[in-house]
Amino acid sequence: MFKPLFFCFSLFSLLVFPSVQAVELEVDRVKTLLNAVDDLWRGESSYAVTTMYVKTANYARTMKMEGWSKGKEKTLFRVVKPLREKGTSTLKSDNHVYTYLPKTDRTIKLTSGMMMGSWMGSHLTNDDLVKEARLEEDYTAEISFEGERDGQRIIEFTLVPKLDAAVVWGKLELTILADGHIPVVESYYDEDMVLARTIRFTDIQQLGGRLRPAVLRVVPADKPDEYTEFVYEKLSLNVKLKDGLFSLSSLKKR
Amino acid sequence: MNLFTLASRNVYRHRHRSIVTTLAMAFACTMMIVFAALMDGFTIGSERNVVSMNTGDIQIHQPDYRDDPDIYSLIEQAGAIVEQHQQLGFYATVRLFAYGLMASDESSSGVQLRGIELETEPTVTDIDQHVMTGQWLSGDDPHGVVIGKKLSKLLDVSLGDELIFVGQTADGYMANDRFEIRGILKSVSAAIDNGGVFMSNTMLRELITLPKGAHEIVLMRHDRTTDLAAVTAQVKSRVGEQLEVMNWQQLMPIINRFIETAHLQTLIMMIFTYIAVGSVVLNAMLMSVFERIHEFGIMKAIGVKPQQLIVLIYIEMFIQTFLAVLLALGAGSVLSWYIQENGLDMSSLADGISFAGLAFDPVWYAALTSNALMMPSVFLFIIAAIAVIYPAIKVAVIQPVEAIHHQ
Repeated sequence: MFKPLFFCFSLFSLLVFPSVQAVELEVDRVKTLLNAVDDLWRGESSYAVTTMYVKTANYARTMKMEGWSKGKEKTLFRVVKPLREKGTSTLKSDNHVYTYLPKTDRTIKLTSGMMMGSWMGSHLTNDDLVKEARLEEDYTAEISFEGERDGQRIIEFTLVPKLDAAVVWGKLELTILADGHIPVVESYYDEDMVLARTIRFTDIQQLGGRLRPAVLRVVPADKPDEYTEFVYEKLSLNVKLKDGLFSLSSLKKR
Repeated sequence: MNLFTLASRNVYRHRHRSIVTTLAMAFACTMMIVFAALMDGFTIGSERNVVSMNTGDIQIHQPDYRDDPDIYSLIEQAGAIVEQHQQLGFYATVRLFAYGLMASDESSSGVQLRGIELETEPTVTDIDQHVMTGQWLSGDDPHGVVIGKKLSKLLDVSLGDELIFVGQTADGYMANDRFEIRGILKSVSAAIDNGGVFMSNTMLRELITLPKGAHEIVLMRHDRTTDLAAVTAQVKSRVGEQLEVMNWQQLMPIINRFIETAHLQTLIMMIFTYIAVGSVVLNAMLMSVFERIHEFGIMKAIGVKPQQLIVLIYIEMFIQTFLAVLLALGAGSVLSWYIQENGLDMSSLADGISFAGLAFDPVWYAALTSNALMMPSVFLFIIAAIAVIYPAIKVAVIQPVEAIHHQ
């Protein structure tokens, strides 16, 4: 018996499936690439020593710190230098940020009102610390350019925040090298789609067992003469860390 | 016969009607005195909260500071400007401001740190007299602060409690220190009540490692009756174009406008109330005139002139109004004085009313000014005089023969 409905469906699937498969492949590829970028610094757990240079119209400062992370929800920073701020620690656990202040021997939980405030005098906000989530989870990504630019083979992604994502940006543009999938530049646009800041990744070197950019420079778009630069001095990935390290009591340890 | 004696006998003859008319006028006048005293209390209180608690007469800033209170927008020559104006007969002081987070054991809140000069601030403002509980700042207290009323509730703290400040220093480091609450202020302005933390400016300068200079210069005239706009212009010409000089009327235009129009509001209120009183007087006088047409006819027939009858009617009115004003002055000043001393507690209606950035004490105090007593009294005479024009003319044009036959 001739089944017109079944026939139509078969025909439809023949026509459509190849392209569905192609789209799925593309989505998978974007996902894999973005996860690779995210994993570049974190892994399952990490330990890093970083120096932060901040230059603004009014001051320039240097700060050295140690940081530990486990999973994507737990991060701990501790200032090593300068002496004036030594021991100041920041703990990010889930969506809460706590700061330990050695001068007054107090731990303060940052309230929502302080989230857009500068973190340690840098061009990053406290919110940047909390929202250090996975790109692939919070954004809908697509490849907006692939090929050669400035003599390098690159892939450029345009990331638009998902509707339910708690993200302050309008969109992100991320450029990575096609070989090695190392990020080159990340541009942040505000809700009016005006460029707010760019992060440049330079000085690619052997770090924690593979090639990574060791320098991140954050430049606010409205003050092109100012910047905050993070230089990785040491990075070890997948180190064994106890959960107890990311607790309020370990914030105070020097 | 003396017209005055005649008039007072006429008033006395219909004493029930006279008493009712007099009491109606006295009641309206009393209410207007209390209302005017409340309005005056309100405007005096508003101006005091604006000028003598915070803004002073004239303020000097960097031109963009008020829009964007950047800690680097300093007036470097602040010391010289203050000294110059102190010699020219002004009270002058400087202020520093910084923003950050203040945390108590219970909670935390964004605050504005207000660094004030302990010696000169009390010459410019009365904020040191405005402490609700505790004491004002003193120089020998390296951690003492005085905070706004609502902030103390927000942080759930009381006198002697400890506060931790976290912010940023001018050279980019973390500013962090421990403070102790020495005093909690009464209501001043929305900004100060919700987030004002007062400390000495040496303390603040140290906390945020601020270089020389100040964010704000505040001037107060010795003689506050001089023309503020002219004085502002003089100060402007002295400090030069690169700084912004503004008086409190320019800084707080809405409050200024409100204070300026407060008398007008009293006047409008009074016109409506007194129109009602005027119709009572008119009615009473008309009745008394119609009752006595026969009598007036006889008076005219025996040679009393129309002008004398008009004067008679006016004296009758005057006696009643005079008694009403005496009563009203007595009752009104007692009531107003009571509200001046004890206040009207409006907190059941609205707790902590805020208008145009100015916070109002929920307890409303009257101010028994001479203006509050004079204006309603004088207006009562005027309105009563207008109300008896018609009855007086009615009597003046009366025809003796017809009037005598009038039953």
